[in-house]
Amino acid sequence: MKNQGFFSDLKKYRALLLMLTPAVLFFLLFAYVPMAGIVLAFKQFNYQGGIFGSPWNGLENFRFFMESGDAWRVTRNTALYNIAFIIVNNLLQIVTAILLFEVAGKWFRKVTQTVLFLPYFISWVVVGAIAYNLFNYDVGTLNVMLRSIGLGPIDIYNTAAYWPLILIVVSAWKALGYGSIMYLAAITSIDTEMYEAAEIDGANIFQRILKITVPNLMPTVIILFLLAIGNIFRGDFGMFYNMVGNNGLLFSSTDVIDTYVFRSLTTSNEIGMSAAAGFYQSILGFATILLANYAVRKYDKDRALF
Amino acid sequence: MSATTANPGRFDPEIRAGKGKGKSSDRLLLAIIGYTLLTILALFCIFPFILIISSSFTEESSIIEHGFTIIPTQFSLEAYSILFKYPADMLKAYGVTISVTLIGTAVGLFLTSMTAYVLSRKDFKWRNHFSFFFFFTTLFSGGLVPWYLMIVNYLQLKDTLVVLIVPMLMNVFYIIVMKSFMSSIPEAITESAKIDGASDFLIFLKLIIPLSKPALATIGLFIALAYWNDWYHALLFISKSDLMPLQYYLYRLLGNMDGMRKAMMESGAAINLEIPTESLKMAMTIVATGPILIAYPFIQRFFVQGLTIGAVKG
Amino acid sequence: MKQTKKTVTLLLTVFLVLATLLSACGGGKNAAENGGSANAGQGNSGANSTESTDTIDISKEVKLKMLLVGGKPVDYEEVFGELNKLLKEKINATVEAEFLDWSDWTQKYPLKFAANEDFDIAYTANWAFYNDQAIRGGFLELTEEMLAKYTPKTWEALPAAAWDQAKVSGKVYMVPQNSNEVVDKVVLIREDLRKKYNLEPVNSPETYAAYLKTIAANEKGMNAFGAKPGDGWKWHELDEVLLEQQNNWKVVDPNVPFAFKMDDPSGKVFNVYDTPEFTELLKYYKDLVDNGVWSKNVISYKNDVWQDMKAGKFASRAQNLGTLAFNVAEQRRDKPEYEMAVVDLTPDKMKSAAVSTQNGMAIHATSKNPERALMLIDLLQNDKEIHDLTMYGIVGKHYEPVGDDQFTPGPSSTNYTGFSNWGWNSLLNRTDTTYPKEADEMLNQWQEHVYHYPLETFVFDDSKVKNEVSNLGNVMLRYAIPLEYGLIQDIEKGQADLIKQLQAAGIDKVGAEMQSQVDAFLAAQK
Repeated sequence: MKNQGFFSDLKKYRALLLMLTPAVLFFLLFAYVPMAGIVLAFKQFNYQGGIFGSPWNGLENFRFFMESGDAWRVTRNTALYNIAFIIVNNLLQIVTAILLFEVAGKWFRKVTQTVLFLPYFISWVVVGAIAYNLFNYDVGTLNVMLRSIGLGPIDIYNTAAYWPLILIVVSAWKALGYGSIMYLAAITSIDTEMYEAAEIDGANIFQRILKITVPNLMPTVIILFLLAIGNIFRGDFGMFYNMVGNNGLLFSSTDVIDTYVFRSLTTSNEIGMSAAAGFYQSILGFATILLANYAVRKYDKDRALF
Repeated sequence: MSATTANPGRFDPEIRAGKGKGKSSDRLLLAIIGYTLLTILALFCIFPFILIISSSFTEESSIIEHGFTIIPTQFSLEAYSILFKYPADMLKAYGVTISVTLIGTAVGLFLTSMTAYVLSRKDFKWRNHFSFFFFFTTLFSGGLVPWYLMIVNYLQLKDTLVVLIVPMLMNVFYIIVMKSFMSSIPEAITESAKIDGASDFLIFLKLIIPLSKPALATIGLFIALAYWNDWYHALLFISKSDLMPLQYYLYRLLGNMDGMRKAMMESGAAINLEIPTESLKMAMTIVATGPILIAYPFIQRFFVQGLTIGAVKG
Repeated sequence: MKQTKKTVTLLLTVFLVLATLLSACGGGKNAAENGGSANAGQGNSGANSTESTDTIDISKEVKLKMLLVGGKPVDYEEVFGELNKLLKEKINATVEAEFLDWSDWTQKYPLKFAANEDFDIAYTANWAFYNDQAIRGGFLELTEEMLAKYTPKTWEALPAAAWDQAKVSGKVYMVPQNSNEVVDKVVLIREDLRKKYNLEPVNSPETYAAYLKTIAANEKGMNAFGAKPGDGWKWHELDEVLLEQQNNWKVVDPNVPFAFKMDDPSGKVFNVYDTPEFTELLKYYKDLVDNGVWSKNVISYKNDVWQDMKAGKFASRAQNLGTLAFNVAEQRRDKPEYEMAVVDLTPDKMKSAAVSTQNGMAIHATSKNPERALMLIDLLQNDKEIHDLTMYGIVGKHYEPVGDDQFTPGPSSTNYTGFSNWGWNSLLNRTDTTYPKEADEMLNQWQEHVYHYPLETFVFDDSKVKNEVSNLGNVMLRYAIPLEYGLIQDIEKGQADLIKQLQAAGIDKVGAEMQSQVDAFLAAQK
């Protein structure tokens, strides 16, 4: 009986299933099959044995990370930075998108949109170089300016405390154009009849934004939040590495899992050890997303990811 | 929801602002806040870019001495002349990037939206299962080695144009964002078409695609940018010089110098080299971004158009 | 949630099935290849023991593939075309090189082995994961018989010590370079500025400090010393001079802070950071910092030290002799208004010979033609004609030979350079005529004072303490670098902190492992 139901479902959804086939195949080939490589985290890799034939070595590959005494610090840093990025970036992007949508001048809107997108194109290497140029102690633009108005220079590259703020600002700056375009698209998809109704009710523009635009953006916000939360334990290596580099004085507040593992493995290049670190990040991310998705499901079944 | 007549202007805030009865003070306040804030943000975004442009035209020794400046302290085209030392290679690289971007965006956008549509169908029993199936891949990955083996040894895609396109065709992030956009399309529209006997694929093609233009424009832009900026796949899989995309071509120019400096130190080898690295970095940014910036107003026109036509229902 | 659980189960099942499938075919494939290569190896030695004559069967033409590091030179086709004509004649083979760019070779190199791509020869070096690759089974073991038979010239030319250094757990996996270089580090100074301030000639740590402090005090807009710790080097750039050479120490492996005294026959290794010499050096560095000798932001410095020095922003840097000599040559050509000099701060100390494994060539474990590949390496390193061609390019175009051992760069010399043809460095190498004479003289003088110490060929195998070594590296970058560059105010506390962190990272375990390896090495030598 149950099987029959399954087969009749199969028939009923055959068109939809067919439409899904390319994507399913794609992810099988490029994600699921290679995923078998997770076993490397538990192996002492050698070329003769390859992925499956290399000898097992239990949790040996995890030791460098777990026993370093830094695991907790860098894990916490990674999560805190990502939470800050999610909140700050999305808030700023939403405000920007709403303003872009509401502000009248067509020409102004177009130019602003383009300009806000510029940072997206600047590679982290170049961002790092510019930051060094602005912030360095001896000849950095910022310190030259401070000295010229009689204030003492700030030693940014030797002071860990400034860096969370710098990194949050830089991250928001770089993602602004990209993210606000997404929200702009979401705003344009809102049914105008709602606006018209609100206008007839005599709501002013701020009330309209708060009562209609923002609630209608919530599904997008929730989806983006859920997508981001699964990767909360993965640091943006390009950003942290190019901004902070190997400056040990800043590590207490800037070291994330990815930079830490990179530094540990530059000399050994051990495939199993990097697989182990990746697996650790995956497990934590998986647990977090299951929790978050569960919470969202409780609140609204349709908004959940799965 | 009944099919309303096309009204291309209804989403254009300009027109809507005009329609608003009287110039109320709240609109004025919003305009002040909007213009001010957006201008400040825009300045933050444009300032570094001006630095980059200026530095790319500055003599290297002058950058070393004065740092990056808004106006070139000592004008020089040296960085560009290094970049365009082999103009044929550079043109080829542009060609590869442009074709990869065009093909990849077209195919990728189609597959992404088709997948997203199925997942957005509330009557599709297994949509959550499949969503999970896709999403799961963003959490767990087998790492570089097995993925590389898959592409090189099993699919034999090394040194082909395909390898620059196929592995990036679909991205879970885009699928899910697209799905969330499509979920907001009222079910009533597809219901009526279904009753008329249209197949699922036809509904997707004829109804959903035109209704999702804002989302298509956005995701299409994202896919295109991803292809345009990609150098990693080329790094791993391309060794033939006529298949090198622009970003990888540039990346190598710079990376080779840095890498060689380190190697020289450790191997004890000594090579004479002298390259304007700072200005070159900047010139590379311009060369890689320039075409996109020139094309952007046109993309934007399509984008804005997409938004207005998005209002057309039925 | 229930549904999710079902999905997870389903996924896991699919995943496991796929994994088993893959493992079945993947494993089978690898095993077959593995067997093949092992057989090939045995076949060689077997053939060798039966055949006593030197005849090698080269009747079948083979195509060899060679993995090199570095950007593909513009005139690759031309030079390698010439090379192939010669090779066809000499060993009935042709070679094709694949270049892994400097920008990404660390990622690609291991992947080529993991995917078992088709190549016969690969560049390798102690700093390019030679040990790891060998332990992981990437290279073919080179037995004495094989080397004697297929690389006869190299076998004869290379001193036994060079082969010993190339051993990983007692087996040779590379044909190392043949170099009589001496590797002491030296410093580059601005001789014109030294004269301007009437300073004593710089030839010791004390005179150097005086030079640096004078510059720092008097030259505005100039840093007396330039370094780039951000590159990831785990030591102060002057440590090799002021800590190792000055005290006649030798650091075993730059990734862990252990050294031994060169003249200590017992080969006792000790933690460098826990010595009075290091404490003294910290004071020396702190004194320099307090006098403003280097930038406060030195750790985040992002530019190129030499470019800045050439632009007059730095007055000194430390590097190996070869690099600095080239710097001097470049300065004489482009900046004649300056006068730079290479100086040795430890002229009376023991000099040590270069490590042979700093550059070398290895055979891929699954090469189908290891014999011909070895013959090629032999020619590259020790056949004058082929060595000249592959090192310097084509006469009249890339270089002009001057006598037997010198050359001048040709009109398009830059079109054939910049990749790891150093893998076959040998005594046939020519020197550039623009190379400063005094640097050559310095080298010659050093060569007379080379000290051969018992642990000269010892190589530390870190495979048993990988986790600890990784963590020690992290501690060195995080605590030792800022301390040495004088960014920590209280150096006493900083040093204590550093030692404490090293202990937490497992330095004792690494030390014990290293000592036991050293002891075993010394015992075997007797």
